[in-house]
Amino acid sequence: MKTKSFIIILLVLLGIASLTGCTTKTTEVITIEFWHNYSAGDGQVEVLENLIAEFEDANPNVKVHQVFMDWSALKNSVVLGASTSVLPDVLRGDIAFVPQFQSLNILLPLSDYEDYDAQAAKVLGQPNSSNLMGSDYYGIAANTNTKILFYNSTLLAAAGLNAPTTLDEVWSTATTLTKDSVIGYVEPWTGIWNVGPYIWSEGGDVLSPDNTTAQGYINSSIVVDVIQNLADLYAAGVVAGPSMDPGAVGDTDGWSAGTYAMELDGPWRGASNTAAGIEFDAIPLPKGSAGSISVLGGENFMQFSASDEEHQKAAWEFVKFMTDTHAQVEMAKVGQMPVNLEALTNDEAIAAMPLLPVFAEALKTAKPRPVIPEWSEVENIIATKVAEAITGAKPVQTALDEAATEIDALLGS
Amino acid sequence: MLQLKKNGFVKCFDWRTLVIFIPGLIFVSMFVFYPMIKMIVMSFFDWKIGYQQISPFVGLGNYKEVLNDPIAKTAIVNTFAYVVVTVPLQMALGLLIAVLINGITKHSVFFRISYYLPVITSWVIVALLFRYIFSNYGLLNYFITDKLHIVTEPIGWLSTRWSALFVAMILGIWKGIGWNMIIFLAALQAVSKDQYEAADMDGANRVQKFFYITIPGIKGTIVFALIMLTIGAFNTYTPISVLTGGNPYHQTEVVLTWMYFQTFDALNMGYSAALSVIIALIILIITIVMFKLTRFSGDTK
Repeated sequence: MKTKSFIIILLVLLGIASLTGCTTKTTEVITIEFWHNYSAGDGQVEVLENLIAEFEDANPNVKVHQVFMDWSALKNSVVLGASTSVLPDVLRGDIAFVPQFQSLNILLPLSDYEDYDAQAAKVLGQPNSSNLMGSDYYGIAANTNTKILFYNSTLLAAAGLNAPTTLDEVWSTATTLTKDSVIGYVEPWTGIWNVGPYIWSEGGDVLSPDNTTAQGYINSSIVVDVIQNLADLYAAGVVAGPSMDPGAVGDTDGWSAGTYAMELDGPWRGASNTAAGIEFDAIPLPKGSAGSISVLGGENFMQFSASDEEHQKAAWEFVKFMTDTHAQVEMAKVGQMPVNLEALTNDEAIAAMPLLPVFAEALKTAKPRPVIPEWSEVENIIATKVAEAITGAKPVQTALDEAATEIDALLGS
Repeated sequence: MLQLKKNGFVKCFDWRTLVIFIPGLIFVSMFVFYPMIKMIVMSFFDWKIGYQQISPFVGLGNYKEVLNDPIAKTAIVNTFAYVVVTVPLQMALGLLIAVLINGITKHSVFFRISYYLPVITSWVIVALLFRYIFSNYGLLNYFITDKLHIVTEPIGWLSTRWSALFVAMILGIWKGIGWNMIIFLAALQAVSKDQYEAADMDGANRVQKFFYITIPGIKGTIVFALIMLTIGAFNTYTPISVLTGGNPYHQTEVVLTWMYFQTFDALNMGYSAALSVIIALIILIITIVMFKLTRFSGDTK
């Protein structure tokens, strides 16, 4: 009796195991998994679906299964999938993901493909350099963007002000605009994505050119002056932002309420301001003492070494399709700034993106953030220390000296 | 055959009882014991989550890093403050309301539902509402500056460490009262009416009845609520995450938000595991101490 019931249970368990574990099927059509953060609200996912249909027509043996995730979900899913290899075949995500994912040892060096160089020659060199680590490219540029200075035209006109022409004028304009319920300038975070352009435009930098040390760079007198200026503006209520002050209004809410007058931001700010019915205009970041140097953003296509060779090849074909002129122009029509050189001069693309010339101008001098595996941690240190400095929790020099020490400990120099 | 001892344990081992246990045991092992042991193991390694990456053994390195980290210290202090303030207050208020509702005969269902509503609403929704109320241009500042003219400048409720934590505490207390009320109400109704009648005959007043009959009568429930709420408060995440996100410069982090940041932003798995173990030990010690203390006071009676 005892043994009988035991055997029955064992058999049932084995049966369940064999049902779930051992089903395999072989089909001739391969389906590649594509994770992305094209925004559904702007009609980009719809365009993507049309493009996928075209790609599938041209490649009958490949199906593309697209999955939308927002920025942080995309990152977390890849991080969680890294150890178990539950990863897509191809991903389109932030250029800043490349060094971090490569440090997880999961990216496929796309430059190993024979025709990588030919495809890379079709896209802008500067954005594509965000894929280069060592001597290999771990992705290819998908879209690019940079930050330009958006300003609320109604508020500037009401104050009788013209658009600023120098970086110093940006701060004086913001100061003049700040009164009653208006705050002159919003800066949502304090990482290099945010304060980098001000530092670079005044001739400072974050790390040494070979990315080995921060000592003498992030705590140089130029950077101290730039951050001190922001701290003074913050104390005067001219600059606000939720990471420095959790009680501050978020930038999108603040723009639509007419609270914030100016922000250095990417193409999405144009879309959200238009949606909110805000009268606005935009110019490249006005020049500081060392020029107008904004920060390079955008997205890359990445592939994963966990996929089998068949899927990798199919995914690479899809990536080539997405970086060719046709797909890039279609995406430009819904707000994705192209990297494809032909698409950049395409009349349809320019017509669809009125701010494209402004962005193109800013892109000429935009600077990428360092492409090193530790970058995300480096930027977190900077964000914390700069926030301490701006809010006055610590003297600027002290906070930045601490940042330099912490970063150097991380970089092992 | 099955024979129960006095204490309820099965006296002699029977293979058939194992059959009943196995499915549950498998699931508990897979989803509770295995992750727990794995996490303890991870806390001794510089755990790499990448594909085929080797994780070097670092001994107590992660523990040292956590204990030397000023932000971890801030997070632990913030969490303790949250526990110390929210747990007693929501218990006291919950008990007070339970006693009041227990004393009324009409409309008690209405009051029970009203106080229980916050419990069943979503943490994220109420935390967002609290952010709208307490932000610089929020509802509260609107009333005290523009309507009541108590202050001229808006107050930055969420802008600094302790005031932001204070808002999170209010949220925690407000949301927790209902649960305490229901638990205490059930306990109150189980206290024998005879005792109150006897006390009446002895001429005891309301306060005396409360402290000498009600409190001892629901002592078990108080201990239960205390321990559950303490564990719950140590695991608070959503209010802070939504209200401040740990900003400014990690001053408002609690243990769980800091753990999340270290895990998913910084990818320091070993650090997070060590922090989890430390917090688990703290909770374990506190729970044991609470059990001991309450048992002793029970014995002396």
